[in-house]
Amino acid sequence: MVLPCLALFAAVVAVGCGGTSTTGSESGGEAAPTTEGTGGATTAPESTSAAPATESGGSSSTADAPSGETVKVGVLHSLSGTMAISETSLRDVVLMAIEEINAAGGVLGKQVEAVVVDPASDWDLFAEKAQQLITTDDVAVTFGCWTSVSRKSVLPVFEEQNALLFYPVQYEGEEQSLNVFYTGASPNQQLIPAAEYLMSEDGGEYKKFYLLGTDYVFPRTANKVLKAFLKSKGVADENIIEEYTPFHHQDYQTIVGKIKAFAASGDACVLSTINGDSNVPFYKEFANQGLTSADCPVMAFSVAEDELRAMDVPPLVGHLAAWNYFQSIDLPSNQTFVANFKKYCEANNLPGGAARVTDDPIEAAYFGVYVWKAAAETAGSFAVDKVREAVYGLEFDAPGGAKNMHATNQHTHKPVYIGEILADGQFKIVYQTEGLVEPDSYSKFLHPEGDVPAPTGGPKE
Amino acid sequence: MPVILRRAGRMDSRCERLIGVALGALVFSGFAGLARGDEADLRERIARIASADKEIRQGGIEAVTESRQAYGQLLPFLEAFQLGQIYRYGDRVVWCPALETDSGGNSIAPLSDPLTGDELVHEGVRLRVAKKELEGISPRRRERRVIQILVRAMQLFAVEPEKRLAAAVKMGGLRKLDALPDLVLALEQEQDPKIRHAMRESLSLIQLAAPADKIAEEVRREAARTLGTLCSARGGALLKELLAPRDDASQPLPAGAALAVYEEALAQIESYQLKVRLLAYVFSGLSLGSVLVLMALGLSVIFGQMGVINMAHGELMMIGAYATYEMQQLMGHSLPDHPVNAYYLCALPAAFCAAAVVGWLMEWLVVRHLYGRPLDTLLATWGIGLVLIQAVRVRYGDNVGVNSPTWLVGNTEPIQDLSLPFNRLFILGLTAICVLVVYGLMNFTRQGLLVRATVQNRETAASLGVNTRRADGFTFALGAGLAGVAGCALTLIGGGTPDMGQNYIVDSFLVVVTGGVGELAGAVWAGFGLGIANKVLEPTFQAIWGKVLILVAVIIFIQWKPAGLFPPRGRLADV
Repeated sequence: MVLPCLALFAAVVAVGCGGTSTTGSESGGEAAPTTEGTGGATTAPESTSAAPATESGGSSSTADAPSGETVKVGVLHSLSGTMAISETSLRDVVLMAIEEINAAGGVLGKQVEAVVVDPASDWDLFAEKAQQLITTDDVAVTFGCWTSVSRKSVLPVFEEQNALLFYPVQYEGEEQSLNVFYTGASPNQQLIPAAEYLMSEDGGEYKKFYLLGTDYVFPRTANKVLKAFLKSKGVADENIIEEYTPFHHQDYQTIVGKIKAFAASGDACVLSTINGDSNVPFYKEFANQGLTSADCPVMAFSVAEDELRAMDVPPLVGHLAAWNYFQSIDLPSNQTFVANFKKYCEANNLPGGAARVTDDPIEAAYFGVYVWKAAAETAGSFAVDKVREAVYGLEFDAPGGAKNMHATNQHTHKPVYIGEILADGQFKIVYQTEGLVEPDSYSKFLHPEGDVPAPTGGPKE
Repeated sequence: MPVILRRAGRMDSRCERLIGVALGALVFSGFAGLARGDEADLRERIARIASADKEIRQGGIEAVTESRQAYGQLLPFLEAFQLGQIYRYGDRVVWCPALETDSGGNSIAPLSDPLTGDELVHEGVRLRVAKKELEGISPRRRERRVIQILVRAMQLFAVEPEKRLAAAVKMGGLRKLDALPDLVLALEQEQDPKIRHAMRESLSLIQLAAPADKIAEEVRREAARTLGTLCSARGGALLKELLAPRDDASQPLPAGAALAVYEEALAQIESYQLKVRLLAYVFSGLSLGSVLVLMALGLSVIFGQMGVINMAHGELMMIGAYATYEMQQLMGHSLPDHPVNAYYLCALPAAFCAAAVVGWLMEWLVVRHLYGRPLDTLLATWGIGLVLIQAVRVRYGDNVGVNSPTWLVGNTEPIQDLSLPFNRLFILGLTAICVLVVYGLMNFTRQGLLVRATVQNRETAASLGVNTRRADGFTFALGAGLAGVAGCALTLIGGGTPDMGQNYIVDSFLVVVTGGVGELAGAVWAGFGLGIANKVLEPTFQAIWGKVLILVAVIIFIQWKPAGLFPPRGRLADV
């Protein structure tokens, strides 16, 4: 009797640790063994274009890619494990951009060859795969990562090798590496405008803020920035509540009850950095307890069209989200982009096919490839140091409108949009900033004295 | 205007009636019954409000605002206008309630009449035009507020009770003084007690929040008393705000009689709200408990009866959730346009069967070869779980959205401010039914008898002619099927993801281990106990620490009682 009990107990504790400690969805440990067994390399979807994506076997690749017929670029997105849900779409759009570029003649006369690897949502594996891409496959540039922990994990590799990474997702800031270009939003390009909007007359003049997030680095840092901003605007301490839930939290009864009491005065809103699958139970509970977006709107920073595609949307209708791009942006360039993406997914038999949607990280991943192309052409070389110099201040047309790269801090000037969720999973844009917002690599609200650290990485002596 | 306000503020219930009647007769005659305005005039109004010319547009809006009592029929138009559903098509103003998409991916707009809402017909078929041909004319940013206030005032008299209720509640939140006359009249005409309650609350909120020079002090005191009797949560928030110390000299702190009245009202509200909050905690504890019991039930059957640690239990729940999704797709249920609520009733047995079949196959192919080797079954079922996760990911690629049936959306308020969501009530009931069915099956049927005989002594049972293989298969399929039902129920709370099972397996094991192996009662008590303990801890310690504390408590508990709440007794304990 004792032995089985002990065994069971050990199992329960082991599972308990996996599910609740470390960083839950980011570690994604459960899926790693299955993909690792096959070597972790994955082929891109069947592509019949001029330069098909290669399977990275490690030993078979040639070392001097830039001097051959093609130039190799790395695609480092999780295709299995918990983050596959989000990252697969980025892999798809990067390959689509490469296909377009190849069809138009390539970069500097060379066809672009994508080397796709699968780090399987496992941040240790991210570093390993990055190393493999840079040293074994000798890629000119890498497009990849989603979670901050994966970026932090590959950062030393890219800095050590002086390689180049394009990172397409909105993140918590407080970082500036000369080996990374951040095409997603910095906190002041998403969080601050959203809070400003909610405080404005058009946004509803909200005075009380419930900061609710999943317990990991992005929400914690984001809320630190938000709190500093709200306090600078004179919001009293008792009007700000900060709360976190574990990854995959499913029972929001107590929290929604608290929000209900908090919002009884009619001037409260929720700023949500809830991540992934916890959003569904949160919004369902919110609606079922009788709260609506009119009583207390929820402004989400991690819910975009691609997530809504797989959600029960009716409870979310009327709530808000802040991004730098929405599929519903009414520009001819965007309509073409959306149509092309749908066509690409359908033609390559990707899950979802023509029902696929575009969203902010997808756009950022897409134009990242074009920024690299333009920079390489300006520099007339694929050498990392030359390309980096050419990226600074580069102006370009993205699907969502003209943007440009910051002259020094590795980030991107972007417009900010606030969208209201519609029943079909799209957003109605209710506000947009005039012009582009300058990115801060280090938040002005956390470094009021301007005491920011020097950028890391860069050219080797 | 101030005269009316003062009178309106001072009223008691008799006064209320008198003033209401007087106002109704004098000013708002014919408002409620949706005046039969001249149709041409109404269309002229619509044309003005939809005009591209700023002057005409604003004039049109002002004119309707001035005499809104005469234009009740314009409410549907104004609501659509506010939602951005009004377009100009050539020189006509049209209403497009919802866009459609044709096979080529273009947006197509079916058109309706903006005044009557009737479908527009062209040569015998519904008039549909490409979205590109329409010019959207939603209100400009500056006009939105005006339209919003106007629409809300008109909604107080709408035919639909839910619109009246929402408008009444919203007015109390905005606390705009100029809403008072509309509210007074609406309260006079209102019959529905719930809406009357909301209107009285909003009226008092507006009066209480008004600056001293607009509303007399005794009126505000009376409003505070009313809010106290109504036990209004929003009133409590406002009173706290008024009583809080502040720097602003223009709003002096209440003193003397007012202070006493305010404090008394606040105390009254808070004691009521505390009671409601406690009830809500108990309910959410029970609700979480019922979810835990439902999840653990299948595990308890398999673990308790067969001694197999089924690590794929979470994945069997996931199968149940995806079976629910398949059923939804099969029957074409999608919200908000095509609700086919019956799908959920079909999904429950479908989820049970799908999971039971997978469970039965698991037992037949793998588990039966590993009986008596607990560590091996643990690893084997864990592996099967991983295979199932990846298989589902390959098949569906993604999360799936399961729309709840409409009758499980929303909540009921048995007493004021205590909302019990329907989905949670449903799961409570479903859990009760499942527990009873399993109990009955195990204790009052022949099959149950055979299972129990096999558990007590496999060799003896076999020698007496019991087919122990079949008993094992049955038990495993039953446990798996129950997991499928749990998965189906979980779609009401969350969504379906390939690895959702991983979130639940820990909790399921916690319940089974705490409850004691092999006892149905153990799972039930442990499930509800853990649920309520969790909900008692959560408000104070937040979700993360609440969960940590629960895990620590269970670890300590297991040290103290290694066999759980209901340890096996007698000869069974030696097996």
